[in-house]
Amino acid sequence: MIRTTVALFVFALFICGLIIFRPFAEDDVVVQDPLGVPIEDTADVTRAATPDISSLAQAAVSAAAPLTIEPATGLVEAPRRIDVLRPNTDDTRLSDMTNNVLAELGFAGVKPVTTNSQAQRQSTSEILAGIEAATGQQSILEERDTLEAIVIAALRAGETDEDIDTIINDAAAAGNVAVPQILVTSDGRVDTHVLLNNIVSQAQIAAGGTAPTIPDATPENTQGMEVRVVQRATDAVQARFYTVQSGDSLGAIAITFFGSSAYYDVIFEANKGLLSSPDRIRVGQRLVIPRIDA
Amino acid sequence: MILFQRMAGLMCALLLATSAAAQDVRITTFKDDSTFTLNGRTFTVTRDQNTAATLQGDFARTSRACPPNCIQPMIAATGVATYGELEVLGFMETKVTDGAGLLLDVRNPDAFATSSIPGAVNVPFMTLTDENRFRKDILRALGAVDAAGDTLDFTNAMSLTVFSGGVWSSDAITAINNLLSAGYPARKLSYYRGGMQAWLHVGLTVQ
Repeated sequence: MIRTTVALFVFALFICGLIIFRPFAEDDVVVQDPLGVPIEDTADVTRAATPDISSLAQAAVSAAAPLTIEPATGLVEAPRRIDVLRPNTDDTRLSDMTNNVLAELGFAGVKPVTTNSQAQRQSTSEILAGIEAATGQQSILEERDTLEAIVIAALRAGETDEDIDTIINDAAAAGNVAVPQILVTSDGRVDTHVLLNNIVSQAQIAAGGTAPTIPDATPENTQGMEVRVVQRATDAVQARFYTVQSGDSLGAIAITFFGSSAYYDVIFEANKGLLSSPDRIRVGQRLVIPRIDA
Repeated sequence: MILFQRMAGLMCALLLATSAAAQDVRITTFKDDSTFTLNGRTFTVTRDQNTAATLQGDFARTSRACPPNCIQPMIAATGVATYGELEVLGFMETKVTDGAGLLLDVRNPDAFATSSIPGAVNVPFMTLTDENRFRKDILRALGAVDAAGDTLDFTNAMSLTVFSGGVWSSDAITAINNLLSAGYPARKLSYYRGGMQAWLHVGLTVQ
């Protein structure tokens, strides 16, 4: 009796062992998950193997056709232009620079002012002196040509406007000189016409002359200009637009519409959505030209 | 037995005498000052021994308007270590003393002239933006060298610890981000988040 019980017990243990360890079972291959989607047993899904989402997005952008359609508005976006090479700029104001040119040329009553570029140079040399005191290693602030110095030398030498244009653009293309932003044209050159015009008009003002008057720009005498009547609740206003032409700088457009490059910021402020900075002007941009009270 | 008691008493007295002579306000239990050299000049940083001292003047202010003086995150940028006062002192004792590091005060020159951490060098954060055409000159002074194609090689550039006014000032993080965008390696940068206010708050020496 006891033998039978022990034998049954051993047999039960054996069966239990078979159930638990399954020595003869084939390797389990799960081909479906509970939702019925096959799982590949070779592909490990880990974070590292997960494709980079930002690179996917970039790939999607680059794979897109040149013309993309904004889904929200249905408007066709123009392809992004490849930016032209632009000269180095700094935040020196053209009027400050011109003022210093006139002062250097000995115009009566014109006192030199500290341009932002000079202030930057001064603070940098102070910083370098501080670092030098701490490290004991001498560092030299590289001398750079300034636009002022080039203009003064050229005017003293009696160069023609064309020669001045060549000299300045060569220096700017070589990266030797930084220019005020409003002198940068839509094709990446330095607008020396505006530069010289500004010297003349500031010289006239310094000599007691009158400030330039606001010219009467009309679509007939200004290429790229357009006037539209915008109906408002109480009245109708004429809105002026100007399409940037090749070779335009913001300073030149300001002269066209306001008589002086000093009004560039009126145009810049009105077109901030389009222009990231005054030197980022591109052919074909349609600028709003506000009216100013004379 | 009596001899033993006397000796114990003597030792107690000796211990009391030494502790009375030592400082009451130490940097840590085992460190009462921090000494480092910078280009031959020796600086010693201790703590204010007046246990009743409190913050005075501008750095006693708690509620600067935000914006612009908003509370800054703990991490300035990926890969940039955040320092407390002890790490700053360690940096000064090792990297700066070895001539391989600099402590940068990125506040404006007026604030720096008023007072700063001993050994700090003033590089206002505004001068590290890409709008400063002399930025490369500053980076060269910090040990970067010209490399091919208008770039800079930062292999031998100084390790920098950057601080500004306090946890309410974004200037240090702005400076770090500008340095990173100029190509400065993140592992060479550290952020002392507490800045001038935290330094003064624990009574550390200023110059």
